Amino acid sequence: MKILARSLVLFIVGVILLSLSTYTVDQREYALVFRLGEVIHVKKDPGIFFKLPMIDNVRFFEKRILTYDSTIPDRFITSEKKNVLVDSYIKWRIIDPMKYYVSVAGDERKAERRLSQFVNDGLRAEFGKRTIQEVVSGQRSEIIGILQQRADRDSRQIGIEILDVRLRRVDLPKEVSESVYQRMEAERKSVANELRSKGFAESEKIRAEAERDRDIIITNAYKEAQIIKGAGDAIASRTYAKAYSKNKEFYDFYRSLEAYKASLNGKDDILVLDPSSDFFKYLRGPNKK
Amino acid sequence: MEIMQNLVGKIFSKKPLRASNEGPPDLDDLFKDLRNKIDNLFRTGPKRLNGGGNFNQNQGTSNNGSDRIPVLPIIIIVLLIWLATGFYIVDQGSRGIELRFGKYLQTTQPGPSWHLPYPIETVEVVNQEEVRTIEVGYRTAGGGTTQELRESLMLTGDENIIDLQFAVQYNLKSSEDYLFKNRSTDSAVRGAAESAMREIVGKSKMDFVLYEGREEIALKTKELVQFILDLYQTGINITSITMQNAQPPEQVQAAFDDAVKAKQDLERQKNEGLAYANDIVPKATGSASRLLAEANAYKISVENESKGRASRFSQILDEYLLAPVVTRNRLFLEAQEQILSSVSKIIVDQKGSNSLLYLPLDKMINKQPRSLNKDQSSRGSVNSDKSAADRINSTTTERSRGTFRTRERDAR
Repeated sequence: MKILARSLVLFIVGVILLSLSTYTVDQREYALVFRLGEVIHVKKDPGIFFKLPMIDNVRFFEKRILTYDSTIPDRFITSEKKNVLVDSYIKWRIIDPMKYYVSVAGDERKAERRLSQFVNDGLRAEFGKRTIQEVVSGQRSEIIGILQQRADRDSRQIGIEILDVRLRRVDLPKEVSESVYQRMEAERKSVANELRSKGFAESEKIRAEAERDRDIIITNAYKEAQIIKGAGDAIASRTYAKAYSKNKEFYDFYRSLEAYKASLNGKDDILVLDPSSDFFKYLRGPNKK
Repeated sequence: MEIMQNLVGKIFSKKPLRASNEGPPDLDDLFKDLRNKIDNLFRTGPKRLNGGGNFNQNQGTSNNGSDRIPVLPIIIIVLLIWLATGFYIVDQGSRGIELRFGKYLQTTQPGPSWHLPYPIETVEVVNQEEVRTIEVGYRTAGGGTTQELRESLMLTGDENIIDLQFAVQYNLKSSEDYLFKNRSTDSAVRGAAESAMREIVGKSKMDFVLYEGREEIALKTKELVQFILDLYQTGINITSITMQNAQPPEQVQAAFDDAVKAKQDLERQKNEGLAYANDIVPKATGSASRLLAEANAYKISVENESKGRASRFSQILDEYLLAPVVTRNRLFLEAQEQILSSVSKIIVDQKGSNSLLYLPLDKMINKQPRSLNKDQSSRGSVNSDKSAADRINSTTTERSRGTFRTRERDAR
């Protein structure tokens, strides 16, 4: 029993001592070792290390990339004196834990405040030089580049590297948005009107073209028909001429009779006749006078 | 302080001692005949320790200890349990990241693995292949989706505002980077995606984003997001960006719908025009065909007619030449007969009187159609013609009494 108790006590005490006199630095951390308030080691690599228990104490700092996200968008003024709301985020990393600790006492929030100051100064300067158009579309990456370099230069003094600054949202303030909506609406209306007029125009064009086609077809056919009829008339005329020219005098007589018969054939026609005419010669008496 | 260091010294010096006593042969025995070994330890353990041991404090207590507690087996069992905590299982699609004293050691593939137990080594299992999704501009919760206007409204290159919702799917290409390079890596995806989408949309025209350019926007955004995330070494692989919805904002939706409707109106009007064209042009073609057919018919008929007439004339002419006077008179009289039989006639003998003759021709013509009909239908036409003539007579009697007579001649 005693041997057990003794070895157990020894074991526990050993473990406690071991844990007090060692510390583990994670892959994702830096460690600063303080001996009575004074930094004696800066550990940038992971592993297990010894320290003096009680006297030395260790503080760990994030080695990974951190994000500062300004949740409330900031107002900036562009070169044409318009307000824009900008929501950005900053990717940063501690590169010098010693400086970092000294400058912001290892307080992340304090560090972020400093960072946002750096970045906002840069943003203000860059936005002031540009129009909304340029900020929104053209020169986004350019602004980001300038901001990143500028903020990075400043932040290195507090042991921080700024990897990236991103403009997440660049929006117009509410009252400006309203006027944008109105403009969009007006634009759409004009597009709609244009489309409708265009539709009418196209429809008219198609109709007119169709009518033109119709007229061309009809008149062409009429022309063809007249040519054909003319040809027929010509043939008929030749036939008549050939036959009738055999005896012109008789044709005159014969054709005249035909014409009389054809033209005087109804009760509508009233002939006023003289009974002394040749036709009635026997009406007056049996012998020709 | 000295005491503590002493103790530490003892613990450390004890370990090699034990190891030398129970070297490899003893461990073999242990596995071969554990029971025997335990029994042996019960009886001779303390002696052995005493014999081999060279530090005094333990010697005394061991000799005095009569309880014979199985110290070594307990230690061994505790040791085994401790070692057993090093077992872990990595699911399919996941990776185990082993750290030795906080330092990256190795990555294990799916299946069972073992690491040196805490606190020497630790393991973190990361699901590498699972496709994760983040939603931008909306959130799916329960059965429905809610819109996040703050995220979804964005400015386009032509300073319009559009409402755009999209989803980003991603998995990991490097579990190590995912774990070590960023804190809260997943949130980096949202930031990068929002920023990238706004940048791409900011460079595009509204109509392009809303209509034809959706696919292209998604593709470009995917590339940019991947670029940004690679910049941070997140170890994330964007598999796809899908546009859920790209539409004009609510405030101008009606105007946009109207524009779409206008486009349809345009199509409709065009179609109506085409329908009209398709109606009249074929009809015209039909009419043209009719005109041509009629012309051809006319041509043939006049040709035939001319041939017929010519032939008839020629034949009559032949006969006429044989007996000119008779034929001539016959033709004349026949013609006279035919004409006079069908027309109305008034025979006036003007030689006898010099008085003026008045003929109310207009009245006679007006009355004609009635009598004409009767004339065609029956023999009674003689009477009716007579009465008509009488009427003419009576109207004109006063003026030219007895100077004119009308006579009708029935055809048959």
